[in-house]
Amino acid sequence: MLENTSNKTDKLESRLNKGTKQIFVWTLAWLLSNALVIFGAKLLWDNQREMTVAAIALNLILGIKLIFVFKNHLKDMDELQRKIHFNAMAISLGSTMIFGNAFGFLAPTGLIENTPSPSNLLIIMGISYIVAVIVNYRRYQ
Amino acid sequence: MKNKLKVLRAERDWTQADLAAALDVSRQTINAIEKGKFDPSLPLAFKAARLFKMPIEAIFDDGEGDS
Repeated sequence: MLENTSNKTDKLESRLNKGTKQIFVWTLAWLLSNALVIFGAKLLWDNQREMTVAAIALNLILGIKLIFVFKNHLKDMDELQRKIHFNAMAISLGSTMIFGNAFGFLAPTGLIENTPSPSNLLIIMGISYIVAVIVNYRRYQ
Repeated sequence: MKNKLKVLRAERDWTQADLAAALDVSRQTINAIEKGKFDPSLPLAFKAARLFKMPIEAIFDDGEGDS
């Protein structure tokens, strides 16, 4: 059997599995903290300002932790996987900027009545990222 | 960039998965390198050279060598 020449302690697959689980856990925690901010003020603490500030602070802390977990996950990938994800990030950033900008024209020009929500940009970002990762993975198969 | 990974691997009767595990990359990465779709980084090329006990230029050829 061939010997692993890497100086990393875990093998690639086990590192990636561990990273994926961590991303899942921290994403879930971050999403729950979003729900806490939105619904907590009304349902749990009757719009007390200090509690809302604390909930937003918790949301930010969890969000920052999620960024670092994802960054470590990228570091654990091999170089082709990393390239695929970096390409996807570039496409996602570009798409969000271009579509977000065009989206911003809709309300002022009267094409839609409601002002677009910034959270809509997250949808564009997420979808373009996933599509770019799938397309890139297929390209290198 | 051309390379002899597939030939060297076949000579040793290693699968893509064996080589991938030895170099700590995915099987897809080995496949992409063998097909010339992806050029490895210098550290990965060195790692492969050490594994095959050969100089890098005997495995990878950028087509810019002396003619």
